[in-house]
Amino acid sequence: MPKLSDNSAGDERLLMGNEAIARGALEAGLQVAAGYPGTPSSEIVDSLSKAAGDVPLYVEWSANEKVSMEVAAAASFAGLRSLCAMKQNGINVASDFLLHLAGSGIRGGMVIVSCDDPGALSSVNEGESRHFARLVEIPLLEPGEFQEAKDMTRWAFELSEQLGTPVMLRSVTRMSHASGIVRFDSLPGKPRRAVFRCEGFMLDTDEGPMVSAPVGYRHEMQQERIRRARELFEASPFNTYEGPERPELLAVTCSAAALYCREAVSMLGAAGRVGILKIGTTWPLPVGLVKMRLAAAEKVIFVEEILPFLEENVKVIAAESAREIGVKTFYGKNEGTLPMNGELNPDRVAAAMAGILGIPFGDPAADYRRQAEAAAEAMAPQRGQTFCPGCPHRASFWLLQEALHLDNRKGFVCGDIGCYSLALLPCGFNSLKTLHAMGSGMGIASGFGKLGAFGMDQPVVTVCGDSTFYHAVLPALINAIHHRADVLMAILDNSGTAMTGFQPHPGSAVNALGEPAPHVDIETLCRSLGVSVEVRDPFDLAETRRAVNRLLEQGGVRVLVLRQSCALSPAKRAKRAFRVHVDDAACLGESCGCGRFCTRVFRCPGLLWDKAAGKARIDEVICAGCGICSFICPQGAIVKEVP
Amino acid sequence: MAREGFSKDPFNIVITGVGGQGNVMASRVLANMLAAAGYRITIGETFGASQRGGSVMSHIRVSRTSVWSPQIPSGGADIVVSLEPIEALRVLPAYGNRQVRVFTNTRPIYPVGVIAGEQDYPESAALEQAIAGLCSGLWLVDATDRAVALGNPILANIVMIGALCTIGELPVGRDAFRNVVARTLPAEKLDVNLQAYDEGGRILRRCS
Amino acid sequence: MKLSEKNAVVYGLNTVVIRKKPLEEPARGAGQRELNEEVLDAGLCTGCGACVGLCPYQAIHGDATVALHRCDIRTGRCWAFCPRTKVDPAALRSIAALGADWTAELGPVRGLYLCRARDGANRGAAQHGGTVTALVRLALQEGMIAAAVLTGPGERLLPRPLTVTDPGKVPETGKSRFVASPVLAEFNRAAREGAGPIGLVATPCQALSVAKRKLSGRNLGDAAVDRLGLMVGLFCGWALSWRGLSGLLSGKLNLEAVSAMDVPPSKYRRLEVTAQGAPLHIPIDEVLPIVRRSCLSCDDMTAEYADLSVGSARLPEGWDEARHWNQMIVRTPRGEALVELARRREVLEFREVPEGNLERLKSASLRKKQAAREAEAKRS
Repeated sequence: MPKLSDNSAGDERLLMGNEAIARGALEAGLQVAAGYPGTPSSEIVDSLSKAAGDVPLYVEWSANEKVSMEVAAAASFAGLRSLCAMKQNGINVASDFLLHLAGSGIRGGMVIVSCDDPGALSSVNEGESRHFARLVEIPLLEPGEFQEAKDMTRWAFELSEQLGTPVMLRSVTRMSHASGIVRFDSLPGKPRRAVFRCEGFMLDTDEGPMVSAPVGYRHEMQQERIRRARELFEASPFNTYEGPERPELLAVTCSAAALYCREAVSMLGAAGRVGILKIGTTWPLPVGLVKMRLAAAEKVIFVEEILPFLEENVKVIAAESAREIGVKTFYGKNEGTLPMNGELNPDRVAAAMAGILGIPFGDPAADYRRQAEAAAEAMAPQRGQTFCPGCPHRASFWLLQEALHLDNRKGFVCGDIGCYSLALLPCGFNSLKTLHAMGSGMGIASGFGKLGAFGMDQPVVTVCGDSTFYHAVLPALINAIHHRADVLMAILDNSGTAMTGFQPHPGSAVNALGEPAPHVDIETLCRSLGVSVEVRDPFDLAETRRAVNRLLEQGGVRVLVLRQSCALSPAKRAKRAFRVHVDDAACLGESCGCGRFCTRVFRCPGLLWDKAAGKARIDEVICAGCGICSFICPQGAIVKEVP
Repeated sequence: MAREGFSKDPFNIVITGVGGQGNVMASRVLANMLAAAGYRITIGETFGASQRGGSVMSHIRVSRTSVWSPQIPSGGADIVVSLEPIEALRVLPAYGNRQVRVFTNTRPIYPVGVIAGEQDYPESAALEQAIAGLCSGLWLVDATDRAVALGNPILANIVMIGALCTIGELPVGRDAFRNVVARTLPAEKLDVNLQAYDEGGRILRRCS
Repeated sequence: MKLSEKNAVVYGLNTVVIRKKPLEEPARGAGQRELNEEVLDAGLCTGCGACVGLCPYQAIHGDATVALHRCDIRTGRCWAFCPRTKVDPAALRSIAALGADWTAELGPVRGLYLCRARDGANRGAAQHGGTVTALVRLALQEGMIAAAVLTGPGERLLPRPLTVTDPGKVPETGKSRFVASPVLAEFNRAAREGAGPIGLVATPCQALSVAKRKLSGRNLGDAAVDRLGLMVGLFCGWALSWRGLSGLLSGKLNLEAVSAMDVPPSKYRRLEVTAQGAPLHIPIDEVLPIVRRSCLSCDDMTAEYADLSVGSARLPEGWDEARHWNQMIVRTPRGEALVELARRREVLEFREVPEGNLERLKSASLRKKQAAREAEAKRS
């Protein structure tokens, strides 16, 4: 079977962007990789962990992104090449360390990969990480296609090592999760030996301590590194230009948007009128190159996703060199030619260019489109996001909601990040009433839990997943305990980082390399903090609900671990605990006493409503066989049998 | 059976379905078959949180020469392969055109709103008629039923690939499929995948 | 545009669809939505339990009925059986066939009695004269009923409804609890399991609910009321909120040890709570604020829809003597038959009803009806 770690230069493979980045790192001689899973970044560390058996490489899934960056930095300090990868939110988490790391500099090449999610296809934000590179003054690279993702990653290590600074590589969902053909280069030979040279003089960057102080001195060095990067970038092969020498319209673009630009120009047949300046080294910008291209065009459009980063930085160059290059007309996000949020696509870009160039860009098949839209609207009902069949979260939120309703004091749940974020929606009975960053559920709950003094008598509940617990909940939990906040914390322990593909976390008995690892036990840890802990199975609906109601009556911090593996977990997948069917004679259907309770209220996708018969059914293809609906049915009409 | 090359460049294939149906796997297998035949492939995929019960889609761009955008331009699909009937219709307003050819699995996966009674799922005859009116060829494949008979509903994605490759729209066929599966899946899975592929060719029926 | 459920649907964490046509408010019906609006949200729920156990949508927690999930059935038993939803009183009386004996003050009255259990053991375990205990025991012993839905002690002052089939167990349920007991939820459960005929000891609101069930149950496909073999009503002025009572008493005594509570005639202006030793006297002014909101709107003091109703007695000798007796209104032929049987079997002893007792009872009942009218007027 072909592997990412094959030393087969010249091979061409169909790789996902994230795999291309991982391959580039392997070709650069990466020895340490760390990360925290988050869509769309997870496959980078996932594929490196698979390669780790074949090449000299240490890989870990760290407790959070900040720790992963610190782990990678340590390797770099010891002279090795290292990488950390995370989704955009992770850069926020790690940013405090990143600022100091930029100040101290690095030794072995170190690359920080941030995967942004324009359009928030799998995020609860549309954050933009590129500003961090400018903010902390480190170089930023953005690959524009798949071969480049690999090649640029490999080069990023050289650049990092040459300048002594961490380098940030920014990808987006349509790069990370898209695939293309990538030609392999060879893997390096011998691994480096790790030595942390730290005995030297305090200001010696090669032999001295790795620190960001003395600040003035170090900050100046850091800015010098950026100046040198700017010079290097002037000649970078990752900055390309295609189009006429004096284009009517210059498109300045980067990342996946570069592909949309090319497609748009092709759609408009405007190759002779539009020049595409694709920038791979987006911070610091190569001023000379940018000036040269600006000088050759009167109209400039910026095509990039999320915030106008290129746009604003290029405008600074244009302003500073206006006397040389003349006054330009700019199009982009700031004046509304392209949207400030959501994803771009070839059509949006083509429409924007067409408008500027005066090319008619109507819909040639408007009739078709109208007919198709009408048909889709009439016949293709939207798919609401929902928990998978057999998902323990459905049971957990079912019983939490019931308990809060029974408690009758308008209690609420502070949410956190994971699959269970979906409990904001009907599939989780709209349970979540706050939802922010990793760990924020407990932090916010800790604050709510102190408002009793001001008359708040609503019980406060927070939920977090097992992986999230280790990531950022722990400090908030300690805070709540120390300050005697009144909070019930339910840890939805589904035995892995389920959302992103079951990466191990500190509670797992194996690590990213598949080796046995000491698992940090949630209950023991919480108990050691002096807080009461109860462990329950959410599938034991009635008993667990009673336990929640009992806990709701108590004050202080209470921890309830709701433990049941994810339905997609390797252990459960394709195994059904029960065969489930509906007893027609007992099913009440729409009558008073039921009112389609299972399908209308419990809403598991494994159920069906047979309108003609007026009875519930089980969709045997979809049903995961958890059997929970048999407890839900008021008539006992849903029957589960051990197969 | 397999044709010589593609009628246009890039040739655009949409594979659509519902999270958990093996959409990504199907697009990878098909793309690898085409890559092995020397084509430059770009795939754009939507997965992640959008996978949980939602519609998922892969865009496969096939070219002799270059990389294309991971998103097909509006109205640009040449073939739509759908693992679920209403998903076939859902992609047509954005990517369909009068010439597009559509292959769809016939087994519905009901949106949770339909299960809950808040939305209606169309009658299959009406749905097929609507799709047929929006394409130049519609093929129906009872892929899930065959996959269940083979022991695992997830194989429906392979049944669909078998169906697609059998009608000769693509310059790749059974050998390419066999090579890709042999290279990328454990050996013990080869037989059942080949059976699923062959079922697809056997059971597809042209509706229009 | 401000978005609401009417004009937008959220299908996913990043999927909002604006409805082309705003959702129309469904027309008013007589189901859970109306139950919520008219009763639960209005604070008028009596905690009787009539709407609990018929379906999975309502549940009891503590002494509160809670809508757990949203039901969209337009016409439901929950609304129809609730003692606080609108009903035509004339229709109710007609199904009970009690018109002939109806009095404006006390409902049907076939006779007013002063009585008590002859057996001292029954009396000792009971609130006052032990009449209810004796009658329910007798009804079970004689096979008039096969099971009785009664109220026993639960945890921390919370009464617990239970079904008794062994006559010997009846005295364990003898005390008044002063907190609503959802006996109708227990009745629903027992009826569903096929018990019958079932005897029920009910407060006025619970008796009213059963009467409403007789009126409309069969139209709604509910035949459980056919299993009812006897309904003994209890006089009732009000019940207390469970959380309120726990708050009032905690710190004053051990809640788990409370063995009896009583409210002597109004001139004493107190609640007596017995845990260990002598009763603790709580001034009535501390008690009235924790009276269940719905009780203020109740216009029935004597359980007018029961077969017979039992409450505390008034005697010229004063409370120390009267507290060992009961006053009983017999309302229906079935109630009359049971009392006759009790007399024949010498289960009850009787004494003459003092002159003026009926008039006093009537005026007390009228005062409650007047207060309820005023409370309702104030509420609306």
